[in-house]
Amino acid sequence: MPEPVLSLRDLTVEFHTDDGIVHAVDHVSYDVYPGETLGVVGESGSGKSVTVMSLLGLVPQGRIMSGQALFKGRDLLKLPDKELRRIRGKEVAMVFQDPMTSLNPVFKIGDQIAEALQAHDPGLSEDDARTRAIELLDLVGVPQAPRRAEQYPHEFSGGMRQRAMIAMAIANQPSLLIADEPTTALDVTIQAQILEVLRAAQREMKAATILITHDLGLIAEMADRVVVMYAGHVVETADVGTIFHAPRHPYTLGLMGSLPQVGRDDEWLRPIPGQPPSLINVPPGCPFHPRCALSEGRIECRTRLPELAPVDGEYHLSACHFKHELRERSEELLRHMEGIA
Amino acid sequence: MGTYILRRVLYSIPVLIAASMLIFFFVSAVGDPLAQVRAIPKVSQETIHHIIVRKHLDKPLIVQYGYWVENAVLHRFGTTLLGDNPIWPDLRLALSNTLQLVIVSEVVAVIFAILVGVYSAVRQYSAFDYAATTFSFVGFSTPVFWLALILQVLVTNIFLAYGIRIFYTSGFSTPGVTGLLPSILDRLQHLALPVITLAFVSIAQYSRYLRASMLEVINSDYVRTARAKGLLTRQVVMKHALRNALIPFATVVALDFGAYFGGVIVTESVFSIPGMGLYFIRALNAADLYPIMAWLIVTAVMVILFNLIADILYGILDPRIRYD
Repeated sequence: MPEPVLSLRDLTVEFHTDDGIVHAVDHVSYDVYPGETLGVVGESGSGKSVTVMSLLGLVPQGRIMSGQALFKGRDLLKLPDKELRRIRGKEVAMVFQDPMTSLNPVFKIGDQIAEALQAHDPGLSEDDARTRAIELLDLVGVPQAPRRAEQYPHEFSGGMRQRAMIAMAIANQPSLLIADEPTTALDVTIQAQILEVLRAAQREMKAATILITHDLGLIAEMADRVVVMYAGHVVETADVGTIFHAPRHPYTLGLMGSLPQVGRDDEWLRPIPGQPPSLINVPPGCPFHPRCALSEGRIECRTRLPELAPVDGEYHLSACHFKHELRERSEELLRHMEGIA
Repeated sequence: MGTYILRRVLYSIPVLIAASMLIFFFVSAVGDPLAQVRAIPKVSQETIHHIIVRKHLDKPLIVQYGYWVENAVLHRFGTTLLGDNPIWPDLRLALSNTLQLVIVSEVVAVIFAILVGVYSAVRQYSAFDYAATTFSFVGFSTPVFWLALILQVLVTNIFLAYGIRIFYTSGFSTPGVTGLLPSILDRLQHLALPVITLAFVSIAQYSRYLRASMLEVINSDYVRTARAKGLLTRQVVMKHALRNALIPFATVVALDFGAYFGGVIVTESVFSIPGMGLYFIRALNAADLYPIMAWLIVTAVMVILFNLIADILYGILDPRIRYD
């Protein structure tokens, strides 16, 4: 594989609150390679968004305790604010979850996009920036772009707003695009359109993409490789096929098992039993062990944090002490979970 | 936008009519408008009869109201009860003096409040923020008359000790000052202390208000988007955040403006500024109902006018407001 665009190592982010220290991201490491789409999945609060936002300095309350984030040879975490600002929106751009609240209600759409261009090219004239903004709106499929550019966000529908957000994100042709739950707030029919736009934008820009979502369907459709996060930890990473068909972490297995499947005559959904832990009191050892069907109370699971280690090849990593048992026991475990649920 | 403003102006008309009726009938209900005049032994029965005829006081109340409205509209509030002096020249002077005082102090207050409020919000829980909070509590709880007196004492002491007159402690102009620049300077020297007094309290109030609305928007998604775009912190705060925080703030300030035109009675009294507040006190002392009613009407018009301005400002600042 080529050099990664972004290489995260041991990133740890904490929030200091009145109730205690929230360990939102705990020694997270993963790589993003040029041109690929990396899906990051996990439940709400698993740290998938905080990880990437803290790279860009967008989590002011979060404290980055340790780690390294090499982006094109530079460690983002050590960059002074000034230089990080030059990277934000230019080399690394974001599309946020809620297009209804992510656009400033008092400025015109066209101006907000033009602003993204001018922020990184101060020499760009107002007129040129506006023309380019209209081109971008056109590119992401906003009809009648010249007219729409003059409108305010409240005159746009949710899907159109998300298109505008994507136009803003790709304005400076970033080499890394981060899409944080880009379709969660949208109708299902609009979701498909937005994915299409995202894909087209990606092709156009040849950008690597981090797609953060809890929607496994989206992962199956979009991602090349997948990072699974649980309670602030990366528990498994592999290419998308492996994740879906040969997961080697009981949490991933549970996630896949919880997917309803066409053709299987299920009366009930199959959730993973239990609740994700509070990030203030993460269980000792493996954070997943209280809910784990594989652990069966083994001391190892309760006392020692498993390392993210290769399973079969170099690129399939799992953080489970007993990952090799899953080769034989997957079916049995799924049935077991069904029984509990 | 044009039709919206026109419609809002038209809405103001019935409000104004209702206000005028309330003012007239309530003030008339106080009792015999001539009671105080009758108590003066020098005033003859003939004079009193003359006043009654001139002001139609023998007619039914509703007819009196008609005459009063006619006078107010056609003859600029007509004349006083007793001396038959025109009301408008004095009232206009009082209004213009109060206008200068209120506009200058509100402008000063808004500028400082924005600086303090924005900085407090951006650096929430910093030393500056705590200092500003303390200042606000002090400002809230300082009685205006006390602050005014202390300022007067301070400036007087400086004058006595060093012989320098930085500011005047009372009045609104020095007689005999001519020329454009000297009279502007003279006016500013007179305005300084009352402006400081008024602005002090307003800054305390407005800066808290702006801090709160800044905090609300500064953690919003669109401010995060602005930062993610790579804008400078200055642009993020002063453009994206402040522009939204100003929407509720502008409304509060505009409404305050209207309320202040009734005269800032305490401040005007302490500094002997012949403004709306002193005008009202004088009219009360003279027990002459007609200047009081004129004052009430002007004040009501100001409140209505600034309500209208607040609405229009709101519409200008927030594109989501619909005009139809």
